[in-house]
Amino acid sequence: MATQSDGAQPQATLKPGAIGFVSSMVIGLASTSPAYSLAAIIGPMVALVGIYAPGALLASFVPMLLIASAFYYLNRVDSDCGTTFSWVTRAMGPWFGWLGGWAIGMTGVLVVGSLANVGVTYALLAFGADDLVENSWVVNGLTVALIIVMTAICVFGTELSAHFQDVLIIAQVLALLAFAGTALYGGLSGTSTESTELGDFVSTTPEISWLNPFGAGGAALTGALLLGVFAYWGWESAVNLNEETEGASSTPGRAAIASTFVLLVTYVGVAVAVVSYAGVDFLADNAEEEEAIFGILADQVMGGWSWVVLLAVSTSAIASTQTTIIPASRTGLSMARRHAMPKTLGHIHPRFRTPDVSTWTVAGIAIVWYLVIDAISENALFDSLTALSLLIAFYYGLTGIACAIYYRKELTKSAKNFILIGVGPVVGAILLFWLLIESIIDMSDPENSYTGVAWLGVGPPLVIGVGVFLFGVVFMIFWRIKDGRYWQEKPSVADPVLAAGGSHPTVTKDSGVDQ
Amino acid sequence: MSIVLGYDESPGARRALNYAIDLAKLLDDTLVLVYGAEPPSRMGEEFVEHFHAIAEQGRAALNHAVDKAHAAGVTTLVELVDEKPAQALLTSADKHDARLIVVGTYGESPLRGAMLGSTPHKLLHWSSRPVLCVPPPEEEEEE
Repeated sequence: MATQSDGAQPQATLKPGAIGFVSSMVIGLASTSPAYSLAAIIGPMVALVGIYAPGALLASFVPMLLIASAFYYLNRVDSDCGTTFSWVTRAMGPWFGWLGGWAIGMTGVLVVGSLANVGVTYALLAFGADDLVENSWVVNGLTVALIIVMTAICVFGTELSAHFQDVLIIAQVLALLAFAGTALYGGLSGTSTESTELGDFVSTTPEISWLNPFGAGGAALTGALLLGVFAYWGWESAVNLNEETEGASSTPGRAAIASTFVLLVTYVGVAVAVVSYAGVDFLADNAEEEEAIFGILADQVMGGWSWVVLLAVSTSAIASTQTTIIPASRTGLSMARRHAMPKTLGHIHPRFRTPDVSTWTVAGIAIVWYLVIDAISENALFDSLTALSLLIAFYYGLTGIACAIYYRKELTKSAKNFILIGVGPVVGAILLFWLLIESIIDMSDPENSYTGVAWLGVGPPLVIGVGVFLFGVVFMIFWRIKDGRYWQEKPSVADPVLAAGGSHPTVTKDSGVDQ
Repeated sequence: MSIVLGYDESPGARRALNYAIDLAKLLDDTLVLVYGAEPPSRMGEEFVEHFHAIAEQGRAALNHAVDKAHAAGVTTLVELVDEKPAQALLTSADKHDARLIVVGTYGESPLRGAMLGSTPHKLLHWSSRPVLCVPPPEEEEEE
């Protein structure tokens, strides 16, 4: 007789007690990939708002914080690791849910090329192969090769050991802080006042007014805030891991606060140090060198030790390709399993047990995108990151609104609920949508972009962002006509028991979805 | 006592099933069929959806094996475990006090196995119980 033991219907819950203080702090830092983010945005950001870059970095953290609250509470009622796609579908129905899933998937896909490119460029710089960085054939070839290798690693299901990852991220933050400290010392003592072939460094003493987020104002400010959103992108996963951590009442809270503090200090510290060391004029003059500006500064500031910073940026970017490809491919898997995407994307490799078709699709689109944008754009990095930020602002905003809608019956139960689940996420969403609309208006006039380039009469990032969005809409309508099953899903409300922090003894958490 | 079988999609798995059925019959043991369904990466979003996809695949594989063991008249238990394959086998072996763990292998080079991750390799190092590794048949003859 065949007997089904109780293991036959397993609960897909994350194991408790899996992660300690250091690791959960590290996850909060690693998911934002600070060294890569700084290297990618510091050049364009200073070019946009000058000395107010530190203020813009502080200001863009505010909506991030409010939206992270939405992620935390949605995570509590729906699957341990659901995303915008699942949540928005449940709160606001399939049409919005599909668009949210599309936005989150495409941001993941489109950033992979930039990550790999920065990974390759800074690795070459770290090993002193500065000449090769100028050779676009070498850089593009290595970038594509890196994407393929990292995708293969994701398909094989190999992961860095947690401890190695901890060491890597801590080394990264220390390298950045060492850079900031040295640059600040140089800026304060005036030793950086010298001429290089690229222009004059004019050291400036930092002032408290640099932290004023509204110092710049206008189109420059919205552009910088949008880049700031990109810099903090991913930070919400620090709060999402709470269920998994040891001693869940105090450890995750303290770890999240610690990682946030470290992240803010690092970002603002590096921004202040860079402006103080090099002076705004130098940074603005070299804005077109954005891909390498951080590398140039590292060489100047750290001298023979610059490889430490360069290597930190490189490893940060390379490690991020993996942490980006996996969620993007899983979103594809999830959408395919709910009939919102072609079925083949839901294929699981029998041996590696990873969504292989979805993962290779992510890589394929990422490579094509990288090569196309590199060929047609003069400021490939800035254009694609700004376009990505538009999509990020869109799906973060959508998540904030979905949170309040999904929890609408719980909001009036306590003041805490009302503020953390209702007001906070909605204010965050309003801020992001305001930023989105303001940026769209600004970008319709290419003169506002420091690059001044226009495609179809508007700024290139707007063309990219809107293009990706519209392509999604067209595909969605096509898929709605071809296969309507996903559109049968009906919006629901948050489960009151789960919302109150409790749990059901036997019911699986994904009730409402037809498996 | 019992015999624990890791039944997955490896080429050696079917042959391993035959051996496990024969042994269970001979020793009058319970045959425990195990499938570890934890996704390779715990990181990031849509983890649960990934888990469900693998579990579905595992259930299909196990059903096939249960039918076969049934036909041979062996008492069979099924375990779909929320762990990675090697860990799932060790957990089930402890739970059912297994005499032996049986797994199919890919019959590939050690280097390839090390790079791609090999469940038999991990078991041989971690298990405190005897492990029987069954390679795939040289020709696709037996069923």
